[in-house]
Amino acid sequence: MSQPVVHISKLNLKYHHTVVFQDLDWVIQPNQNWLLCGTSGSGKTSLAKAIAGLSNTDGTLDLHFDPASTRPALAYYVANWYQFKDLEGQSNFYYQQRYNSQAEQTVATVQAELESFGKAQGLQFIEALRIAEALAYTELLPSSMIELSSGEHKKLQLVKAVWLAPQLLILDQPYNGLDTLSRKRLNTLLEEISVKGTQLILISNDAELPAVIDRVAEIREGKIQEVTFEQRSRNEMAHSGKAVPSFLKTAPAGTAPEHIIKMIDVNIRYGEKQVLKDINWEVKPGEKWLLQGHNGSGKSTLLSLICGDHPQAYANNYYLFGNKRGSGESIWEIKQRIGLISPELHWYFDPTATVWQSIASGFYDSSGLFCDPGATKKAQTDQVLDYFGLQEYKNVLMTELPLGKQRLALLARTVIKNPQLLILDEPCQGLDQQQTQHFNQLVDELSSHGTTLIYVGHFESQLPACIEKRILLENGWVKSVETILESA
Amino acid sequence: MSNYFNTLPLREQLNQLGVCDFMDSSEFLDGVNALKGKKLVVVGCGAQGLNQGLNLRDSGLNVAYALRKEAIEGKRDSWKNATENNFTVGTYEELIPTADVVINLTPDKQHTAVVNAVMPLMKQGATLSYSHGFNIVEEGMQVRKDLTVIMVAPKCPGSEVRAEYLRGFGVPTLIAVHPENDPEGKGLAQAKAYCVGTGGHKAGVLNSSFVAEVKSDLMGEQTILCGLLQTGSILSFDKMIEKGIDAGYASKLVQYGVEVITEALKHGGVTGMMDRLSNPAKIKAFEISEELKNIMRPLFEKHQDDIMSGEFSRTMMADWAAGDKNLLAWRAATGETAFEKTPAGNVKIGEQEYFDNALLMVAFVRAGVELAFETMVEAGIKPESAYYESLHETPLIANTIARKKLFEMNRVISDTAEYGCYLFDHACKPLLADFMRSVDADLIGKNYNEGKDGSVDNRTLIAVNEVIRTHPVEVIGAKLRKAMTAMKSIKTA
Repeated sequence: MSQPVVHISKLNLKYHHTVVFQDLDWVIQPNQNWLLCGTSGSGKTSLAKAIAGLSNTDGTLDLHFDPASTRPALAYYVANWYQFKDLEGQSNFYYQQRYNSQAEQTVATVQAELESFGKAQGLQFIEALRIAEALAYTELLPSSMIELSSGEHKKLQLVKAVWLAPQLLILDQPYNGLDTLSRKRLNTLLEEISVKGTQLILISNDAELPAVIDRVAEIREGKIQEVTFEQRSRNEMAHSGKAVPSFLKTAPAGTAPEHIIKMIDVNIRYGEKQVLKDINWEVKPGEKWLLQGHNGSGKSTLLSLICGDHPQAYANNYYLFGNKRGSGESIWEIKQRIGLISPELHWYFDPTATVWQSIASGFYDSSGLFCDPGATKKAQTDQVLDYFGLQEYKNVLMTELPLGKQRLALLARTVIKNPQLLILDEPCQGLDQQQTQHFNQLVDELSSHGTTLIYVGHFESQLPACIEKRILLENGWVKSVETILESA
Repeated sequence: MSNYFNTLPLREQLNQLGVCDFMDSSEFLDGVNALKGKKLVVVGCGAQGLNQGLNLRDSGLNVAYALRKEAIEGKRDSWKNATENNFTVGTYEELIPTADVVINLTPDKQHTAVVNAVMPLMKQGATLSYSHGFNIVEEGMQVRKDLTVIMVAPKCPGSEVRAEYLRGFGVPTLIAVHPENDPEGKGLAQAKAYCVGTGGHKAGVLNSSFVAEVKSDLMGEQTILCGLLQTGSILSFDKMIEKGIDAGYASKLVQYGVEVITEALKHGGVTGMMDRLSNPAKIKAFEISEELKNIMRPLFEKHQDDIMSGEFSRTMMADWAAGDKNLLAWRAATGETAFEKTPAGNVKIGEQEYFDNALLMVAFVRAGVELAFETMVEAGIKPESAYYESLHETPLIANTIARKKLFEMNRVISDTAEYGCYLFDHACKPLLADFMRSVDADLIGKNYNEGKDGSVDNRTLIAVNEVIRTHPVEVIGAKLRKAMTAMKSIKTA
């Protein structure tokens, strides 16, 4: 009988002084492909990293690879967060830096990055091109890494992983930020490499998984249990089930202009690359919009114009909250009226802020809290903290929490000032379907009091009920604008 | 032009050296109003020029860039930086005459040429802003009497100025108004508004003078910030090689050690840094840093004396006139040192190991910080200014060494700082030759605590702690860090 590929026995692991696993056992036999589940904070990521040899644990953790296989004999882990470095080996980039043009380029192109990866791993570049093609990624090869959106960074990680096709591939939330088509294509690619001898361990909240995934393991109280798809535990709700704090159940403060947003022939280009083309878009107070488009269609850039994050704002003709952009307003006056969450905001958020500070920082639109909010805002922060069920994490640093919990804290931060405009760019990344549903119910509640909404989400089944209109981008153009729900 | 400082009577020299006020946040309640609707024209679009301009514009101010004709026609980096971010760009002739405020963010060396070029074009009653006072104080630039002259100097690299602003914060900033050029009395209000525009008001602002800024800035960068970090790095590395420590390990211990050690300094001052050592190691580090202070004090005093008398700037400007002959030769020599040429080894060094195995470097940092601070204060510079130019900036410079060693440090700092750094380094190494002969690997390269039982004499330890904790740099440091952390609470959480 062949040896198990992964043999774990009596594995112990602590994460920031908290016991994650105690005497965990797990055996993975050849040809098995697993889904690894568990509620937020159960240790999925820690276990994945341990298998890939990226963390120190005690106990037995043996890997046995097939010497006859042509696939690389290693366990390769694809993190749920992307990380990249500049040519000097630094990774200290800052929020929305990709929009600030600086002549001295110290960041590699996507192609150079792939070439150096391929060289280090002894891979054929032609194969990378085939995979890139399958993920509709070829056009991005000449781009600088700093210019990529979160979905595009995710795809780069996946191109590398599928290209390497090691004997054991561990994917942690690989679908985050991918559009529907890309998810399907990724599944096809994973099925292909699985046939050729790559075993998969997948961590995901999504429903549509590669067909080859046939086993489900769940971490419960620090131990592995094999379960069926139906038996998976649900996360606790995205909020506590308590009533929405009363200060959020009123109309947002601030005068209502005729238009929240009015764009007239807006164009953004970097050198030869046109990212937005002749955008005309009007958003009236109280409207609930869905913004859609494939990865790279220009959604994030469009939103960055609205949030005051794009320097080319000053060369374009548009109005925010009734004021012409670039007519002497500060970006902080704009941000004051917007509640924003996006993958970038999460990625660059201050990891050394506590959960409470992170939520309170929503009053000031800062990454981390730099001032004393005063009694009223403190009380409101406490209420929102409680509503989102984050009481016990109040004084915990963001960096010590799993991504799902961090995300809940940032969602609380997004709504705390009851803003005129809510911009929710894939707000529920890292949450499961039930948590998503609960958050969307809150969005419905908030928007019933006059909040204007722009929501970015790839899945029709996971949207708030209040959405009335849809704008679809394709390659920087407005492909269509439609009303999907007549407002009452 | 003659040295401005030297034209002043002693009374006025002392007066200007002593301008130093850590400003209360209530001083900035007027926001950017003093500059609202005014036309700001930035000269130069490098890292400081571009990033300050991006912040000022995002704060609702009107910003354009004036570049030399050659930079525009040649589509140089400065032109690309400004145009690709959608700023109006024009020549001096096109933009300066319309400017209410001209912000000079070119390198020190170009200041005389730049100011001579823009001054005749500036309109009556406009403002000229600097981010360093060398041109005014050392070169004695005479600015037209109707013009207001201010300084706004963020104490961080340009990219940090932008990054912190976008986080909703800012970087500590020093502002000043030149007393010879404040005809309408509007200088301070404009400097404060500028500071709000770059976000600096949220991170602590020191109201200083051109004289105090220059004399303390030069002293800090020549001695503790760059000079001593360079000397200490090279001597530490060479000693480890001499004692048979693995070269890759030695290289890594020094390159990243300065950053890890000074990170403790940033959070808790010299006390915090020394407390990272075991008790026996702390006593040892104290003893050798006292010895280092004795040996190096005359050199620190010479640097301060030459800065005050103008001798330093005179010799450096002579080198400018000679086409940077010395600077370039010294830069090349630094690139050839063994430390610089040995890549950091692929070996894991734990955070605490950087303290335990590099006691000598901890001693260097304590000696350098305290000496620089003491020497500045003795020369009439106020403790607040001396703190900023010594302890506060040390971790920022150490960070550049961690990135790419001394090459990177000397690339990032100004040519003026680099020149002074080499002067110090070349004088300091021979001065320490005898001392270094007495150093063994237990002070650098190996764990000092190894083979010791950790016991100390209570009275010795108490006496050592007392000296470290009551040093004036610790007293003022505790006050300033508190004021900064009140606003930036998370950074010390």
